[in-house]
Amino acid sequence: MPVPPDTLPHLPCRGAGLSRRGALQSGVAATLAASRVLAPSLFVGCSLGIPPRAPTVRIGLLHSQTGPLAIGSTSLRDVELDAVERFNAAGGVLGYHIDPRAPDPRSRTELFPVRAATLLDDGAVALFGCWSSASRKAVLPLLKERDSLLFYPVQYEGNETSRNVIYGGQVPNQQVLPALDWLRSGPGGERKKFFLLGSDYVYPRTTNFIVRKWLALTDATITGEEYLPFDQVDFAPVVARIVDSGADCILNTVNGAANIALFAALARAGVDRAKVAVVSTSLSEDDLRNMPAADSAGHWLLSSYFQTVDTPANAAWMAGFRREFGQERVFGDSMEAAWCLIQLWKAAVEKAGSFATEAVRQVFAGGIGFDGPGGKMTIDPATQHATKYFRLGRVRPDRLCDVVVSSDGPLAPDPYPQIAFPGWKCDWTKGGLQPGPEVSIDG
Amino acid sequence: MFPDSSWYYEIPTTNAALLMVAAFVGFYWVGAVIVRPILRIFVRRAAGLNDLIGYILSCFCVFYGLLLGLIAVTAYQNVESAEQNVTREAAALSALYEDVSRYPEPYGQNLRLLIRDYTRYVIKYAWPLQQRGIIPEEGTIRAEALFDRLLDFQPSTPGEEILHAEALRQINHFLECRRLRLHSVKAGLPRAMWTVMFVGAFFNILLCWMFDTRFLTQLVLGGILAAYLGMMMYLIVDMNQPFRGEVSVSAEPFELLYQRMIED
Repeated sequence: MPVPPDTLPHLPCRGAGLSRRGALQSGVAATLAASRVLAPSLFVGCSLGIPPRAPTVRIGLLHSQTGPLAIGSTSLRDVELDAVERFNAAGGVLGYHIDPRAPDPRSRTELFPVRAATLLDDGAVALFGCWSSASRKAVLPLLKERDSLLFYPVQYEGNETSRNVIYGGQVPNQQVLPALDWLRSGPGGERKKFFLLGSDYVYPRTTNFIVRKWLALTDATITGEEYLPFDQVDFAPVVARIVDSGADCILNTVNGAANIALFAALARAGVDRAKVAVVSTSLSEDDLRNMPAADSAGHWLLSSYFQTVDTPANAAWMAGFRREFGQERVFGDSMEAAWCLIQLWKAAVEKAGSFATEAVRQVFAGGIGFDGPGGKMTIDPATQHATKYFRLGRVRPDRLCDVVVSSDGPLAPDPYPQIAFPGWKCDWTKGGLQPGPEVSIDG
Repeated sequence: MFPDSSWYYEIPTTNAALLMVAAFVGFYWVGAVIVRPILRIFVRRAAGLNDLIGYILSCFCVFYGLLLGLIAVTAYQNVESAEQNVTREAAALSALYEDVSRYPEPYGQNLRLLIRDYTRYVIKYAWPLQQRGIIPEEGTIRAEALFDRLLDFQPSTPGEEILHAEALRQINHFLECRRLRLHSVKAGLPRAMWTVMFVGAFFNILLCWMFDTRFLTQLVLGGILAAYLGMMMYLIVDMNQPFRGEVSVSAEPFELLYQRMIED
């Protein structure tokens, strides 16, 4: 049988003790008061105390981290990461936190555009990297289609200008041609017999084309010219042919890990380093750490930067990098170029006040420079190539180099040396590329 | 949890606990004001119903308490297991570092550099991503580079063969621990468990609303129960994802290892 509500003994009586309305009013008042007092300290700015996060801008680092090209390009990634970490620690770029993404193109040319496309799809505002010219050329159509900028830190063969690339490495008139001048001179040993050895792709073939044109103007001869795959491991036959040819200078444009096998083969064949100069264009001190010291000592490296360059900027840069990445890290030419390029990108973005490609490009069109570890680097507005020092170093037993020859200052870039590409010119400030007659590299 | 809960793990621990407690207590109080008068209409007409509700609530609490306890233990074990995996991964990496230090040059130096590179990546890049519930991808590239370079080495003496075999064993162990760590980034209680937990909490609160007591008493006692439920939920949610939140598995084993590596 239902019990009438009034008979329930424990129900609160109206007027006796606290009424429901009174309790509600008190509760609401107390809650409001507590919220007013506690909210500011607990939930700062209605963010529940979540620390504010700076807006993020993504950049892409396009370096092979596996495969035969990883030997040199991984260090470029490290240099760029170091730079980005320093930017972020100092408040980012234009107040944006920089988020670097570094996928692995696995040293496969066809993967570079794939990775680059993924990076651009993910919102990367600029790309830094590529190693071989083949990889750079593979990315060019994509860059043009998306109107993006690539900062390319490696020395290359020239014969190219693109509005979508800022070239930070040496071109032949800043590297190979001054070296040939010196090698043919008295202090350089008056070399006259050159053997051209390279990996089989566009950089060695074009560079050697320019070299052939240049040497044709002298009394020097070319005793042989050979191109081998990137993953070549057996260099004994080619070294035997070099020895048989009687060459007194080997111009080595072999790229990547194949150099380890090449230098081992040269050592095994007993090539006399005092008589035969092996001059490498694509090797740096950083790459030498991957080969036995005995194999590399006494050979020659062509570069714009050596770790042994004695400047305060170089010392400061190396110290900062080593603090983060370890004391035994070694520095190379492309690493220095990568460092300078990312600093230049930051400076350009800040000057433009924007990450947009066209705005950044306009800053480069106005001329912009950076005092790098190896000396001042300026981007030439006409070609978007860098002014670079020429330096020739000889490898010491500790796998570092003594700088034997150096230019007095940075040399202006000429992507189209007229001895090889007559009539070709580029000036982005005055109409861009003016093509000359078609040139056949193999001809 | 079902909706995107990533924002929750960014809240400082104290605030997150207070928020969860406030949510449960607030829900209970609001329900007490809105739902209780409706429920009371049915309850007040039945004599002795309070006793019945009390009995049901007691039984229910036993089962629910057991469930919560077991889930809390599972969540804690997940955290502990993730912590152990991290420690084992760092230990395997450390042993590998020692092994490759005995390799002839240039392999030794090159492999040490790759191990340092991996360790640095884990500390600087992988950990912040894990803390946001994202599985870091670029560590795989570094691990592959290390593995490839290790396989490049061809031992030429019996001593080198033994060393190489040991290094290969260590790298396999390291890769196994690494995979377990990555797996635990997204690991968490299954959706069914969350459903049972939250529905259970709701029933708990519903039964409390049905108690026919003085209003203030209901607010206080029910509020205490709701606060404790909130605390338990906070504990489970916080431990559910081992790498997320202020209190989570730290990168300390890797940091100690890296410190030692760069001081070498």
